[in-house]
Amino acid sequence: MSEIDDMIVRTDESDTQKGKYMTFKSGHEYFGLGIQYVQQIIQYQAVTMIPDTEDYIKGLINLRGRIIPVVDVSLRFKQGPCEYNDKTCILVINVKSTTVGLVVEQIAEVVEIKEGNILPPPSIGRGDKGHNKYVYGIGKVGNTVKLLLDPEKLLYDEEPGDSEQERMNEEE
Amino acid sequence: MADDFNTDSMLDMYLFENGQLLEQLQETVLEQKDADSFDEDSINEIFRTMHTIKGSSGIMMFDNITAVSHKLEDVFFYLRESHPEHVPHVELVEHVLEVEDFISNEMEKIRGGETPDGDASDLIKNLDKFLDMIKNGGAAGGEAMPEPVHEEPKHFYIAPMASSASRFYKIFVHFFPGTEMSNVHAYKIVYALKEIAEDILYSPEDILSDEKSGEIILKEGFRILLQAQCNEEDVRELIGVGYDIEKVDVFECNADQFLLGFDFGDDQPLKVIDLESSVEEIEAKEEAKGEEGKPKEAEKPKIVPGDFVIQSKEPGKQKKLAKDKPKVEKASFISVNVAKMDQLMDLIGELVISESVVLQSSDLKVPGLNLDNFNKAAAQLASISTDLQNVIMSMRMVPLTNTFQKMNRIVFDVSRKLGKDIEFVMVGESTEVDKNIIEHISDPLMHLVRNAVDHGIETNEERRESGKSEKGKVTLSARTEAGKVWISVEDNGKGLDRDKIMAKARKQGLLEDNKPDGAYTDKEVYQFITLPGFSTNEQVTEYSGRGVGMDVVVQNIQAIGGTLEIESTPGFGSTMSLKIPLTLAIIDGIVMETGGSSFVMETGVIKQFIRIKQDMMINEPNGDEYVMIRGECYPVIRLGSWYGLSDYQESVEDGVMLILEVEDRKICLLVDRLVGEQEIVVKPIPSYIKKVKGLSGCTQLGDGSIALILDAPGLVE
Repeated sequence: MSEIDDMIVRTDESDTQKGKYMTFKSGHEYFGLGIQYVQQIIQYQAVTMIPDTEDYIKGLINLRGRIIPVVDVSLRFKQGPCEYNDKTCILVINVKSTTVGLVVEQIAEVVEIKEGNILPPPSIGRGDKGHNKYVYGIGKVGNTVKLLLDPEKLLYDEEPGDSEQERMNEEE
Repeated sequence: MADDFNTDSMLDMYLFENGQLLEQLQETVLEQKDADSFDEDSINEIFRTMHTIKGSSGIMMFDNITAVSHKLEDVFFYLRESHPEHVPHVELVEHVLEVEDFISNEMEKIRGGETPDGDASDLIKNLDKFLDMIKNGGAAGGEAMPEPVHEEPKHFYIAPMASSASRFYKIFVHFFPGTEMSNVHAYKIVYALKEIAEDILYSPEDILSDEKSGEIILKEGFRILLQAQCNEEDVRELIGVGYDIEKVDVFECNADQFLLGFDFGDDQPLKVIDLESSVEEIEAKEEAKGEEGKPKEAEKPKIVPGDFVIQSKEPGKQKKLAKDKPKVEKASFISVNVAKMDQLMDLIGELVISESVVLQSSDLKVPGLNLDNFNKAAAQLASISTDLQNVIMSMRMVPLTNTFQKMNRIVFDVSRKLGKDIEFVMVGESTEVDKNIIEHISDPLMHLVRNAVDHGIETNEERRESGKSEKGKVTLSARTEAGKVWISVEDNGKGLDRDKIMAKARKQGLLEDNKPDGAYTDKEVYQFITLPGFSTNEQVTEYSGRGVGMDVVVQNIQAIGGTLEIESTPGFGSTMSLKIPLTLAIIDGIVMETGGSSFVMETGVIKQFIRIKQDMMINEPNGDEYVMIRGECYPVIRLGSWYGLSDYQESVEDGVMLILEVEDRKICLLVDRLVGEQEIVVKPIPSYIKKVKGLSGCTQLGDGSIALILDAPGLVE
């Protein structure tokens, strides 16, 4: 089932989607995610929590009969919990046939960023390591920048940075 | 691109259709493997199947498949047309199965994107040899290729007297004048009578192809000569009294009169009905007569008018009403992609949820609304959606027939190779099981059946020595009981050897040191054979004895929530029973709440609900809690604190205790409150979330919210 969905997503992925990014706000930053990963955007809905999991996994939601896990992006980025309000959305993304919902503070817009306008992330971060490991590039749009996310790392990267290590230690 | 797609779909079609044909072929062949020869229907069927496969493989240019199927088609053409005697049946069955294997193999290659490059020359050579052999044996060594019908007369003229119990009838059916298509009505009667008829003749002859026959029937009536073993009433009943039939006259007569034919001076040639063929075939044969029936023409003059012709394979043997060979009404099927089914199921789930959203909408709660009509419509909607759910669930249920057929094949192969004489009996193969489960039990079942044939049943000599009938018996049975499916493999062989198993267990250090042998129950001893690396068969055979098998069986069965039970009586055989859930998709569950979250527990493991008092609790200093209920002490798990939920009921007196029992271990689970019992559609927890102990899945409740399914064995641990 999910594989088929995946295929559909892949075949839809034509040139028109190339270079387009869904941007959203989390904390004070704007992030961008390749639009080919985005399946749909839904309003925030009640999440069923699952015990004994990482704190950034909020739980499960029922997406049209499919039960998908939901990740809170701001917790994942260690920006601290954000308040859920009317603008809070769940961005449903599909990465390698895994469907996950991302709770984001606010959806911004779809922007087109040419490859020439994407810079590698500065090797020396701003001290906040949590950001960098998910960000593969910085896209310039006019005067603003968007942090472009690598969705696979966003979901799976467990490679602990220093802060991550601490947190894991605390858990155990 | 478009062309690619085209051949792809053609290939899919090719694989699908031929796959089905082969399956059916195997079924037919195995059904008659114990007979002396194939009956005519099967010969025709195999012939047709091979012809179809040959044709389609030719189109797809799979030359080796074409060649093999062509050869087998030749063999069956010969069988069909020449009816040779002395055909070594078992050998023939093996040839057919070999060809089937070969083609299946090649098709598997095609499916995997490889080229079908199997070498068919050996097979073809063998088939050639076989064909030569039956030609020489069957045709008394003389003719090279006898003309198809030359031998047919043997079966053709059989005196009706051969059957003493038969009764003879002359039947006249008169239709109302003006009845349209009276020839078709007449044919319906013939078709009905065919079920009981040992012989049937009718006039006019060409009721199907000749439209003028309708007029003749209207004018002169429809005349039937019938030889059968039932009484007049049965005959009348079969003919029935339709709106179109004016009068039915049935006269009983003796054989001599019967031989005279219609005593109304009929000089039309009479029609022969091939009792073994289906209607379609008769029609087809009528058409084919022109081409291949030349010799038949030559026979015709011999038929004296008024004489009659019988073509019945077993004269004198009563044809039981349609029971001889149940003509199962073929249900029509379409095959659907499982992904689409799943999608449909999800959509229906969604529909149910949106239904409850609509019906419980807060807009309806405004006081003073008149909702009579709304409520009526809502009830209607609810009943439709319930039906819809039931239908989709039943669509996922598949009979075990195919799986059982495969086992039949295995028994046949293995027993032939081992030289054992084995009768294979299937019981309850139409039992329906969820499709997902069927996929999981096929392999375990194969192991069990193979074991039964290889280990269970003794060799022919051993059987003779121990005074048993030489023919071993393996019974594969399925039945539904208490929401579970029981599938047992039973053999009447030597049974499990307790001493041998104990010895082996001791060698492997599985026995406890200070426990006497006698202290192990049979059940415990037999369970040893399900451990990895445990095989008591000293000799490794091609089929079993490597010690892998039983443990794999048990693993596979446990994976789908089933269990394996072993019973055995030394000298009389053993029975392996699989107990598996009917469906993985739906369980009966109790919904409960703790700390604002919903949980579901499978109904089967809950022994009791109980409210308890604080003074029944026993607290150990290390934090463990126990509860004393009616003199029994159970460990307590508070679900809320177990999962670190907030806002759960601290006091045991406010909550509800569930007593759970898993494999003789009992625990108490404290939850806030019970919601109710309902059927739960089980869905896996998305794999993105790492496995949480004590949770086996999740489900969606009627209001669309999600409940987590508790896994009792996980909690007990």
